[in-house]
Amino acid sequence: MVQIALLAAMVPLAACSWMFSPETSLPGRHPFDLGEGRALCGECHEGRIKGVGKPFASFSHSPEFVRNHRLRAARDEQVCVLCHHGSFCNDCHAGKTEIKPSVKLGNRPDRELIHRGDYVSLHMIDGKSDPTSCYRCHGRANNEKCAACHRGGGRR
Amino acid sequence: MKKNLYRLLSAVFLMALPAAALADTSVDSATIFRFSQDSRPGFQKKDFTPATQFLGADFEKLGDGNLSLHLYGWGRYDLADKSYNNDRADGALTYAYAQYRTDQANGLIRFGRFFINEGIVNEHVDGLNVRSDLPLGFGISAFGGATVHTVHMPGEITDGKGDGLVGGRLHYRYKGMLELGVSGVYESDAPALNQASNQQLAASGRFGSHRLLGGDVWLNPHRMVEIMGHSSYNAETEGVAEHSYLLNVKPLKDLVLTGEFNEYRDRDLFFSSIFFAGLLDNLNDRSRTMGGRASYELNRMVEISGDFKHFTREIGKADRFGGDIRFALLDKALRTGVGYHYLRASRNFAVAPSASGSFHEARAYAMHDTKSYFAAVDAIGYFFKENINNKSSAWEVTGSLGCRLTPALALSGDVSYGKNPQFVDDMKGLIRLTYNMNYTGKGGTK
Repeated sequence: MVQIALLAAMVPLAACSWMFSPETSLPGRHPFDLGEGRALCGECHEGRIKGVGKPFASFSHSPEFVRNHRLRAARDEQVCVLCHHGSFCNDCHAGKTEIKPSVKLGNRPDRELIHRGDYVSLHMIDGKSDPTSCYRCHGRANNEKCAACHRGGGRR
Repeated sequence: MKKNLYRLLSAVFLMALPAAALADTSVDSATIFRFSQDSRPGFQKKDFTPATQFLGADFEKLGDGNLSLHLYGWGRYDLADKSYNNDRADGALTYAYAQYRTDQANGLIRFGRFFINEGIVNEHVDGLNVRSDLPLGFGISAFGGATVHTVHMPGEITDGKGDGLVGGRLHYRYKGMLELGVSGVYESDAPALNQASNQQLAASGRFGSHRLLGGDVWLNPHRMVEIMGHSSYNAETEGVAEHSYLLNVKPLKDLVLTGEFNEYRDRDLFFSSIFFAGLLDNLNDRSRTMGGRASYELNRMVEISGDFKHFTREIGKADRFGGDIRFALLDKALRTGVGYHYLRASRNFAVAPSASGSFHEARAYAMHDTKSYFAAVDAIGYFFKENINNKSSAWEVTGSLGCRLTPALALSGDVSYGKNPQFVDDMKGLIRLTYNMNYTGKGGTK
């Protein structure tokens, strides 16, 4: 059944192969394990990533990159998966989870993880100063714990 | 439809198992036992020992070498008192999909449960995703399927999402200088709600279907300058929901200067969230954040950063500023850092009307990671300008110690202790068994 579904999808794609870019795809994985610590792509690579067109240095994991990786991941996921499996992202970004990332990874204080320490007290201030920062993860999913107290109304 | 989809997914994975034995395989497992006790005057004492298993596996280079399977999920069972909700056991299948990559055009077909993150679109889907680069710098990605539902909202038999969705992104790249994208998502009609208060949300135009359109840009006019961001438009409320833009300037190889601007219109952004629509009183608010960050890598061992952010809402304003220093010593085996930030906030952002919303945040950590053992200590404190629940601070210290039984298998334990406005003493512990194996030696173990 799956083979039939894949074939059904492939037939029209093959018939229209002239419509696709002739450029070779990025490899599925980086050719070797990069080890621990933040990756600095620009340290080994110069120029631009073929097929993506952006400089290697643009993906070096500086503090700025870590803070704003969402803007890059939304455009160039095929670069992220060169080194990261999806489970790495799902340490924080999951539709449903119940262990805080900083507790699940309490042995990794070097990772930039959200809600460290007593966030129950802090969320009341952060939530009022920038509710959109809560919304990204808890807006349409992963809000079972929030709803236990916030049953509607009364907040600004 | 969903039952059939699950059956199909199971069939995919069962069929793939023999081939998976020959494939490039990665396994990522964490078994976590948490221990805590809730002892409060006037309440029954409770002991919590939830056991949680996270398991992920990736089977790559199947078939002709371009086919792969990916799955990840977790399950929890309470060994003592119920720890979280009304269920002693819980779990979730986070993703499970088969993927076929083509040798050219960065083509990709995904089938199963997956996250889609394209332009302004962030969705969790049971369905199909197809993506390819096209000639002349164009590219396309499209997806469709059933919405992945989460836990029902209190008093409802729905999470507020429609049952199906389609969407995608079309982009254009020009000579490594420019990328423009348009993206959108169309979800089927939002479900009817049971509770009168929630029905009122829908009737008053605070809650409805999830339908967004947007554009995104990446611009690299000079090797030192990079601009990126996106804007989204809510087709249901007919209003702009979000602008989010970032400017990076790299005057030196190891110096990054960043400026950011974000603007959100609450009603347009939160419209399809039954939880947020009911949570906020004033959905006509317009939030804006502006900020900057400078980070400099002194050498391969020391990294310094300083940041500032200004928050503006109709109910008040706040500023957050501070800095961090990170060290990576002994060939990255010893990693440590310190940080300090201060949030200066209007009274309207405070926990209670009589309190202040301002607080200091200080953190220090160190970890030593060797082939045989690893240890970490992490201390974080929030110091309030005015007391919350008669407490001037909330702090927590966590210690972690572990040993590698094999290069892939590790056993570790964490203990944390703190005091905060919620608890006189807050002590927790956990035991963690992790197995992270990459049988290919490529990419990363995660």
